[in-house]
Amino acid sequence: MSERLIVIGGGGAGTAAATIAKRVNPDLTVTLFTEFPDIAYSPCGIPFVHGREIPKFEDLFLSTVERYIEDGLDMRMETTVTDIDMDRGTITARNTHEGFDKLVVCTGFTWEKPDVEGANLEGLHYVKDIRAAMLFDEQLDGMKRVAVIGATPLGVEMAGNLGHRGLQVDFVDEGPWVLSEVLDPDVAAPVHDSLEKRGVTLRLGTRLEGFAGTDGRVRTVATSAGELPCDAVIVCLHKLPNSALAEAAGVKTGTTGGIVVDDHMRTSLPDVWAAGDVVEVPHGLSMIPIRGLTGSHAYAQGRTAAFNAAGRDNAYDPVWVPWGMVAGDYTIGGFSLGETLATAMGVPYVVAKGVGVSRARYYPGATRTHVKLLAEPGTLRLIGGQIHGGEGVKERADFLAFAAKRGATLEDIAWMENIYSPPIGALFEPMAIAAQAGLEDVRRSQAVGAA
Amino acid sequence: MTALDRMKRNLRDRSEHYLMLAAIRDLGAGKPGTVAPFDDRSGLLWRTMFVPLYRRLPWPLKRRAMETLRMTATGWQPPERRAHEPWRPPPPEP
Repeated sequence: MSERLIVIGGGGAGTAAATIAKRVNPDLTVTLFTEFPDIAYSPCGIPFVHGREIPKFEDLFLSTVERYIEDGLDMRMETTVTDIDMDRGTITARNTHEGFDKLVVCTGFTWEKPDVEGANLEGLHYVKDIRAAMLFDEQLDGMKRVAVIGATPLGVEMAGNLGHRGLQVDFVDEGPWVLSEVLDPDVAAPVHDSLEKRGVTLRLGTRLEGFAGTDGRVRTVATSAGELPCDAVIVCLHKLPNSALAEAAGVKTGTTGGIVVDDHMRTSLPDVWAAGDVVEVPHGLSMIPIRGLTGSHAYAQGRTAAFNAAGRDNAYDPVWVPWGMVAGDYTIGGFSLGETLATAMGVPYVVAKGVGVSRARYYPGATRTHVKLLAEPGTLRLIGGQIHGGEGVKERADFLAFAAKRGATLEDIAWMENIYSPPIGALFEPMAIAAQAGLEDVRRSQAVGAA
Repeated sequence: MTALDRMKRNLRDRSEHYLMLAAIRDLGAGKPGTVAPFDDRSGLLWRTMFVPLYRRLPWPLKRRAMETLRMTATGWQPPERRAHEPWRPPPPEP
């Protein structure tokens, strides 16, 4: 009789785990449980459909349930797993016990709810499920003014897109600039300008104090700076790991609340793996566990769990977290640490800054690319960076994260080879310009020190 | 979850919050487009004792303290980061 693998969760990690495990070991019986009616769509695309950048929600679907069934998966849609019994090797769903030999937990995250009065009113919307998003989108047609709470990456995307749609948007956050937990303050001005051009009113340094409404529906947001009338509120606070089910079964969780896994995505219990937003994985520089990363991290972790659950040997590296996004119309990105996070952690660094262009200067469409690199004093190995401007932010962030992971230094980047082709690349690579300037600063400060 | 686990989680939550707040305040001051962060004046001891003390300690010592408290990941092997040497695949297992 073949072994049975049960995967709990139908997001990026769960879908990857189930499909890849079946592909790697076709003898496995693979069952996937998800509480939702849909699978294989991109929730990250939802803000852009609201903003009318993408025509319709259907465009976000990548596959169908039927396709997974054709591939040999046992799909249990709209079926919530309520218990894991490790002694018996069973899970419980719809009051029925089902046995497993191996288990992959990919239960994802839930959004942090604001701990203020009125948080249960109707009209508070959380961006996650595509069907809820479709209904909300219809309601948006009749709305004029919305409040977005939390200048997180999702908050920035929702605020910018709803502004683009023509809604009046109040964007509320306690921080002194948007994305202040990720982005350095030297990038605040262009990001703020771009959001404001889209009709977003920034309410920064402002605390959310509560919601008030009539007939059970939210009508105003109370803040430390006064009341804001609204037709709806989009809550974009932090992601919290959905680890209660696994924790109740005895799976160890860590300092972030996420499930503790090793580099094979194994949990503390035998034959149980976990992946995606529910786990914590170490940062490559500090080895401090972090969580709540990107969809591509979730997919790669699900893939690793699948290989190992299917009998192969596959390790996942500590992460250097390349990230990027469009804030309003302005592209920002980076990897690992920015100055703000390095300062908060107390990690010593030297800074290398430079500005270049994305194409030949004379070629139409060229944009300025700002690069800031952080390096370890002494060895000058890269430890982080931020890039902003127009084109090529994502590719540079990906490259730099990989280079840092392999120990590249400012000198390596300063002398790197680069493509020069007028429509796609300038003679001088912006990353190299930044690294050269940084090396010059280091030499100067060493000369001053020696004198 | 044990009481020690809860304590470690709480220590991480609180220390991250106040260290981040101090960093944001210091780096953001006077930068174009920024405002003062909201200040609820909570956590007097964290602001006046913990943050200055933490900042005074060198990074290797902080790192060792985190390892001693088992607040860094175990069961992971980071790839070697040797400056000026190209990456090479790991040696075969014995």
